Amino acid sequence: MDLHSELILEEYRAALPEFEKMRAEVLHVLKDTLDRSGLIVTSIEARIKTEQSLSGKLALKGAKYNTLSDITDILGARVVTFYTDDVDRIAAMAEQMFDIDWKNSVDKRMLHQLDSFGYNSLHYICRLEGHIYPFELQLRTTLQHAWASINHDIGYKTGVEIPREYLRRINRLSGLLELADDEFSRIRTEITDYRRRVQQLVQNGKLDDVLLDGDTFTSYLQSRPFDRLNRRIAAINQAEIQEAPLIRYLRVFKMFNCNTLGDVDRIVKKYEDDAYRLARHQLGNTDLDIISSAVGVQNICTVYVLVNGGGKLGLVTLFDTLNGHNSQNEAIAEMTYEQARKVIVDN
Amino acid sequence: MKTEIVESGNQVIAKFIGRLDTAAAVQTSEDVKPLLEAEQKEIVLDCTELEYISSSGLRIFLAIRKEAATHGSKVVVSNINADIRQVFMMTGFVSLFEIR
Repeated sequence: MDLHSELILEEYRAALPEFEKMRAEVLHVLKDTLDRSGLIVTSIEARIKTEQSLSGKLALKGAKYNTLSDITDILGARVVTFYTDDVDRIAAMAEQMFDIDWKNSVDKRMLHQLDSFGYNSLHYICRLEGHIYPFELQLRTTLQHAWASINHDIGYKTGVEIPREYLRRINRLSGLLELADDEFSRIRTEITDYRRRVQQLVQNGKLDDVLLDGDTFTSYLQSRPFDRLNRRIAAINQAEIQEAPLIRYLRVFKMFNCNTLGDVDRIVKKYEDDAYRLARHQLGNTDLDIISSAVGVQNICTVYVLVNGGGKLGLVTLFDTLNGHNSQNEAIAEMTYEQARKVIVDN
Repeated sequence: MKTEIVESGNQVIAKFIGRLDTAAAVQTSEDVKPLLEAEQKEIVLDCTELEYISSSGLRIFLAIRKEAATHGSKVVVSNINADIRQVFMMTGFVSLFEIR
């Protein structure tokens, strides 16, 4: 190694504590900012180039650098996102977090030749306030990261040039992953739009226009359709109401052949009073002053089964659907049937 | 009212013996504290010898469930008798707990 490169290596050794500080600070700033933005990413990492790696770089192109500050990737940070859109969002945040050296920053996504794909990430050369050395920030999607990692492993790690045929196949995969990345982003955007439209329809009460599925039932539950009934039931013993997840009732309403949220809402409205009477019959003679928010919908479904002639067997199916097949369900169904019969069936 | 806690492999089993009423709730809350720290475990609330549960008892079960969720653990209620089953059903607690 020549003297010039030796001097840069010496400067590197002396600056390692400084780079350690920078590494911790960069990670802290990135994590903190992303946490506050609510944006979920696959990983945030930062590494300091090893002396061995730096020596290799200097051996290859040491003359290009006057001082250590000219080498921009001694500290490298990387954020890997799920979606391509998020790369741009984080890039915009990075511009607020750090000073960007625009002359040396590259959006490799824009550098594609017509006949090749490749290493599609965004590289910013940044500076942290109060530090003299620059660092590199890479932003890429999970698929870009997978492609780059595998390409690095089979393409460059051995230092042996690989035949064109294999390169062509690697590049074909890169194109495929680029398409997949774009499609994932598009799907996310469309799902978000769909959810907004559903919420709008629910808010406007156009429930017959909304097909029943996991997304739409969640929107329906956000309109708190069982609150009134739960409050009436809680008033029987001045009970407190504990929130319970209700999404599992989607399977039950599907079993009741509900196709739209309108079908669900009609059942809720039709059987609300009977469900309350069942709760009054059950809880009225007790001092139980805590209930779960599932009690209202549970009683509505119980009443629906019995009124529609499902009997004990129908209740077993109801509890099997809710809790999974379980030997306790038969006993719960038997007990519910005996109590509900007096309120629902006998009337 | 007695509470016995046994750890066995990936499970922590709390055995409740007697009547978990308002009077017993204060002591039982103390007795179940080791359960609140269980990380990534299946917490079994064994009710084979539990004769009765009041609202205070349900609140203890609920506190265990809430803590378990924050520690990546799961709660299962096992072997409840007919009276306790009725309490779970009437209050909608069957939707909050896995019952075996």
